[in-house]
Amino acid sequence: MPERDADIVIIGSGAGGGAVASVLAPLVARGLRIVVLEWGAKLREEEYTGREVEMASRLYFDSGGTFTKDRSLTLAYGRAYGGSTVVYTGTSLTVPEQVIGRWAVPGLGFADVHARSLKYAAENNVHLLPEEDINDNNRLFLAGCRALGYHVEQFPLNLKGCRGSSLCNLGCPNRAKQGSHRVQLPRAEAAGVEVVTNCRVRRIGERLCEAVVANPGYGEPSAWEPGEYRVRAKVIVVCAGGAVNSPALLLRSGFGDRLPVLGRYLSLHPALILVGEHEQPISNFNGHPKSYYCDEFWERERFLLETCFYFPFVTAKNLIGFGAEHSELMRAFPRLQMILVLALDPALPDNRVRLDRSGEPVVDYTLTPQVLDSLHASMVASAKVFFAAGARRVHAPAGSRFFIDAADADRVAELIPRENVKPGKISITSAHLMGGCRMGRDATDSVTDSWGRVHGVPWLFVADSSLFPQCSEVNPYLTVMALADRVAEGITTRIGELLA
Amino acid sequence: MKSLPPAEAELLRVLAARIVPETAGLDAAGIGRFLAIVDGALMDREPAVRRAFATFLRVLRRAPVLRYGRRFEKLPSERQDAFLAWLEDCPVGLLRAGFWGLKAMVFMGYYGQPETNALIGYAPASDGGGGPRA
Repeated sequence: MPERDADIVIIGSGAGGGAVASVLAPLVARGLRIVVLEWGAKLREEEYTGREVEMASRLYFDSGGTFTKDRSLTLAYGRAYGGSTVVYTGTSLTVPEQVIGRWAVPGLGFADVHARSLKYAAENNVHLLPEEDINDNNRLFLAGCRALGYHVEQFPLNLKGCRGSSLCNLGCPNRAKQGSHRVQLPRAEAAGVEVVTNCRVRRIGERLCEAVVANPGYGEPSAWEPGEYRVRAKVIVVCAGGAVNSPALLLRSGFGDRLPVLGRYLSLHPALILVGEHEQPISNFNGHPKSYYCDEFWERERFLLETCFYFPFVTAKNLIGFGAEHSELMRAFPRLQMILVLALDPALPDNRVRLDRSGEPVVDYTLTPQVLDSLHASMVASAKVFFAAGARRVHAPAGSRFFIDAADADRVAELIPRENVKPGKISITSAHLMGGCRMGRDATDSVTDSWGRVHGVPWLFVADSSLFPQCSEVNPYLTVMALADRVAEGITTRIGELLA
Repeated sequence: MKSLPPAEAELLRVLAARIVPETAGLDAAGIGRFLAIVDGALMDREPAVRRAFATFLRVLRRAPVLRYGRRFEKLPSERQDAFLAWLEDCPVGLLRAGFWGLKAMVFMGYYGQPETNALIGYAPASDGGGGPRA
């Protein structure tokens, strides 16, 4: 088996791995060899076609539809040069101070996370879209929320040269989204960091990674020939494969024995995609899809409402029912307004990543009654927003009818009964996967310390959303970058000691 | 289809016509695209997922015998719809999830075709088309 040597091996190139690679890149000039091993492919620019099924299969694990063990949720997480930053909408929120307080990680303060978040906001050209670039789908949400007196904020977005294709979740075809694949990774490569795509790390040993390179038939070929490799990491390994694959890799590598919390405390921000139908066509698939969010229900009912716009297949599978009514609603596509709900779920020890018999990850996650309550309340609130924005009718997955007409707008609470919120029936998804290698005090309550160093393993670090001890309660990408920045700074500060 | 035995593949087409009625009117090329998308999606999954899907289709074929005395494909369309509606809302979570998975496959096979986008008025443009205002 071929062997490769490096001083620092970073596994994963998403928000976390990209940030770590960028911060550590100056070490190359001091003679260190840094390698990033990325499972996914680096697509050629012409391969960003915007075709839904094709792009989903190329940029997401399981085409964006990984089932949880009980099949009540599907998970969408990216697999690409740049990880999930290739396929998110670019929303760049800084985590609220209350959340860092609730995390209660010894040594991790809000000021530190906030300052690092601002650094990445600046690097990634995060700004608010001007009013004239906001489409009807978003403006109607704002109007509906304001009519109801709900508090709304505008999303800061990491865009440069956005042309409003609305294809963010399928990979921007215009190079506009400033994800890790456009900012941190190219910068790291320019400084001499080697990024090896199409390379899956199967196991981590003592300063050693067992990896397999296999080109999938699209994207640029890997820098390494297909085959199995032993990659020696003379100094450290940084695990940044995300909240499913990082804990799974560490479990597969035998770290579960000394880290009883490994894989546990997973949170997902369980999500719904809801639609309201207007009389006239609105601009929905032209323009950036995500401009506003409503945090009116953040503290008490524990959910956020966000604007969104999805593609035909994703929209179809998020509607309840089938047959003629379903088709009728799909034919109204240019008249559909959409809202994404994020439930703010608790981090529980039994919600976890496990391994199946073949060593592949299984996400064992149970929706709590409180989360189902949040999802129910969010459907009622969203229906009110749609009607306040002028929708002629609304489709609520837990509705007692397929359509709720505007004439019944004052009866939405009655027409969306809580008992209809049935997992398995209603399409519940997640694109915010957090936890599994949570930060904390010691091995009894966590996997790493507040600098991402794995308890009891001085050469092993984690730098991705799996570090979150609880959910971030807002879109998490900027927070992932901030924590990864902190991990990288900790490594840089201690590099002399680590090299010794 | 590589992913399903012929009998289950045939049942999938019968079910597709109930879930997305437009699939019944697809021409040969459209049916070919539908089956290719579903096949590709299933082949990308773990073998255990494919087996579970095929098993679910077999259960779905035979379960109506208990209530209606006939297999699914022999039922009149109204009863097929009634059975599927029951399945979607049934007390057993795994059956509800199985039906959701079936629907997702059919929706992917139909709405995942770029050729059907125009039929529902979806016309994405990488340059943003007509801009952010209708």
